[in-house]
Amino acid sequence: MTTTFDGNTAHLRPADQTLLQIKDLVVEFDLGGGRVVKAVSNVSLDLVEGETLSIVGESGCGKSTLGKAILQLPAPTSGSIVFQGTDITKLSKKDLRNVRPAMQMIFQDPVSSLDPRFPVSRAVEEPLKIWNRGNEIERSAKVDELLNSVGLDPALVRDRRPYEFSGGQCQRISIARALALEPKLLICDEPVSALDVSVQAQILNLLQDMKEAYGLTLIFISHDLSVVKAVSTRIMVMYLGKICEIATPDELYSRPLHHYTSALVGSVPVPDPERKVSATLLEGEPPSPLDPPSGCRFRTRCPAATELCATEEPMLRLAADGHYVACHHPRA
Amino acid sequence: MLKLENLEISFATNRGSLHAVKGVTLDIAAGESIGIVGESGSGKTVLSRASMGLLAPTATRTGTVTFDGKEISSLSRDEVRETWGTGMAMIFQDPMTALNPVRRVGSQIMEGLTVRLGMSKADARKRAIELLGRVRIPDPEQALKKFPGQLSGGMRQRVMIAIALACNPKLLFADEPTTALDVTVQAQILQLLSELRKELNMSMVLVTHDLGVVAGHTDKIAVMYAGEVVEYATTKDLFARMRMPYTEALMKSIPRLSTPSGSRLPVIEGRLPDPTKPEPGCLFASRCPYAQEKCRTQHPDLTTDSDGHQYRCFFPLGAAQ
Amino acid sequence: MDSVKKSWVFRITIAWFALIVFFAIFGPWLPLPKWDQVFDDALSVTPFKQGHLLGTDSNGYDIFSGIIYGARISLFISFTAVFVGGTIGSAIGITAAYVRGKFDYVVSTLFNVVLSIPNLVLSLALIAVLATNVDPNVPTSTGRRIMVLVISLTIVIIPILGRIARAATLSWSNREFVLAARSMGSKDRNIIWRHIVPNVLPAIFAVAFLAIGVVIVAEASLSLLGAGVPDGTSWGSMVARGRNDIEFAPHIIIIPLMCIAFTVIACNYIGDVIRKQLDQRQAKL
Repeated sequence: MTTTFDGNTAHLRPADQTLLQIKDLVVEFDLGGGRVVKAVSNVSLDLVEGETLSIVGESGCGKSTLGKAILQLPAPTSGSIVFQGTDITKLSKKDLRNVRPAMQMIFQDPVSSLDPRFPVSRAVEEPLKIWNRGNEIERSAKVDELLNSVGLDPALVRDRRPYEFSGGQCQRISIARALALEPKLLICDEPVSALDVSVQAQILNLLQDMKEAYGLTLIFISHDLSVVKAVSTRIMVMYLGKICEIATPDELYSRPLHHYTSALVGSVPVPDPERKVSATLLEGEPPSPLDPPSGCRFRTRCPAATELCATEEPMLRLAADGHYVACHHPRA
Repeated sequence: MLKLENLEISFATNRGSLHAVKGVTLDIAAGESIGIVGESGSGKTVLSRASMGLLAPTATRTGTVTFDGKEISSLSRDEVRETWGTGMAMIFQDPMTALNPVRRVGSQIMEGLTVRLGMSKADARKRAIELLGRVRIPDPEQALKKFPGQLSGGMRQRVMIAIALACNPKLLFADEPTTALDVTVQAQILQLLSELRKELNMSMVLVTHDLGVVAGHTDKIAVMYAGEVVEYATTKDLFARMRMPYTEALMKSIPRLSTPSGSRLPVIEGRLPDPTKPEPGCLFASRCPYAQEKCRTQHPDLTTDSDGHQYRCFFPLGAAQ
Repeated sequence: MDSVKKSWVFRITIAWFALIVFFAIFGPWLPLPKWDQVFDDALSVTPFKQGHLLGTDSNGYDIFSGIIYGARISLFISFTAVFVGGTIGSAIGITAAYVRGKFDYVVSTLFNVVLSIPNLVLSLALIAVLATNVDPNVPTSTGRRIMVLVISLTIVIIPILGRIARAATLSWSNREFVLAARSMGSKDRNIIWRHIVPNVLPAIFAVAFLAIGVVIVAEASLSLLGAGVPDGTSWGSMVARGRNDIEFAPHIIIIPLMCIAFTVIACNYIGDVIRKQLDQRQAKL
């Protein structure tokens, strides 16, 4: 096994090949009274055009914060985010606004993603209006085209309001709205967690189709490894604001090296009554991000933790082709 | 323990009568665990509410719900309330909204104990600590003093379970108990529910949209579609040989770790039928890949196989054509 | 909504409101005695006697005319205070909740400080400061006293509605559609006008109606304390002026009191109806 040590950026590819490169990103929240939570701590990642990167972890691991920080919602505390060659953390408010159409986001709660007072046509038209794209007739045609492409019949849905739709349909409307400005990068924050299993697959397929049709690059945030399996080209596992492991999906599932990844794999419910309950079931819950453990952050729940894990923080290192792990004692 | 017979529930809406539950017959024996699986709009939640006597006043109900030998609808409001907690208890999908955010966890657990069981404050406190320990909350004494907002989603769901267990119910309804939780926590909570059920010899009804959730934790499964039970069998039997095309489709649509990356996921095309406009044939016919002419014109009855496996299909899977 | 519209309570409430608003606006042009005209031959006349619909008080003023003129003053004071206070309060509250940070901290602290002072004490103090002339022998004019009353009640209203606006904005601005609008490059001003204000407004309206009731009562209480408008020009001051006659001519005080009570109840009811509509709408979401 080849091992290289190169800070926590070992997994990054040359900057000129990437659409998005994030280095040393830190997002802190001031809780008042001198308490500061580091929700994302020194995360680096990159995306090649056409790729789908999935970010997976439990709630509180910083995955959603990371996704929003990429869009400067709110802006990160430190670190650089280079998108199409420009560091957007250094842009003025006006220049940042001009970059926004190229990066869009879809949120977890399909109902709260839509203004309850707006009919569907207005919701989807809104981004076009903000940017004065086309005249009224052209915009209306574009709205119909978008609704069609996400599998909704414009004639039936145009004038209806969000509460008349199911969660899956609301998510389709949100996708149509996000695509209106023809973004390069689409960040999907738990887009299917609030949906029925039977609808999840539909939305996942739709996102795949849209990716092809619109030439998108995707960041897919989820707490469920099984959901991202089919859609991702690369998966990044996060724990308490840090990266644990990065690999291609097939590699990650067949050979999870980090003990946390293996626990995540073991937690996925399997529709098979004969299956024994996984021995790797995680105990307890993540410690408070206010006061993260020293060294490796996972050590308090890790079955393989040693003295070393408490004193020294493991760095991301190459374990196999395209497979990076931050662990002192990776699984064999 | 709980027996539903020919239960029909409909709601008056401004678009006409909405038939939410159609002719459901189920029974749950003491100590048994049953999963009710279906999509949103399948009537699974209405069914579990009705079993607890928690229906909205706009609902009309026919058929019977018998709990512990007593017909629920024949009971007065007070008597129904009497069965809650001590007879049946419920835990909900969203533990944040099900708990009172401005009261400490301890007082919310102790309420049932002092009011319903007439315990003294000191006894109730002791029991609350014991309950929190039972649902594997670390440091129960500290947890008593916390507000729901100070706990994580998983811990809140554990508190909900402790409250539900406070009065030793014979039957526990769990309505999508893990949908709002992380996968890792979901696995823990399901494990906990299974263990508690065995320890306390409770019956449990696990309502969910996810076949994966019920697989390892139930004895029997009822699959619901558009208000009807379309398949009913022991868990083992159901997963070994599904008869109903809908169950098969639901099963296939679950995202799995074994799905090859880059592949399209199988989906159930189409939508649930409009519950205000009854159709003559099989309710799943319009979405069923195996549907034939008969399915569109005649409504299939629930058929029982020799092994007790029930299904509602003219052309069950795996049967000789 | 339809079932509410059909209920007789709702109809009576609307009718009462329409009636007093009509009187407040068109009162001066109605063929009635002047509110400040003294009927020396008719002191403390009980209602329906000697051509006085609601009787007269112990000074010989026609009570019906007084009520109509008083409606003008009472409603002017309360609507103006709530409208101006509500607008200022909402603007501050919405902005504070939207921008968060230090500004929000300062605003909510200020709101809480003002709210912690009892309404009456606060308005009394403001009136004492604003309405006192440099030369204590020169009486303050009625117009100025009304202005001062409106200003002090406006200041009372600002934090009440401001806090509601702030809370509602906090809950709406955390919705993901607001984030979505920001990620699309929508300007903050547009987000506030298009997404926040329309969603927050119903909540503010519901409380604004309750606030009108509060202000009417506050105005009446100030009159009783002698800090309101001059005698006989508002419902509250009619009560104040009639308080000595309560034993032998109770109608002098009961009639304006009933007007106050009905209007406050009507305001509360309308506020309640709005709130219920709001809850129903939110239940749908």
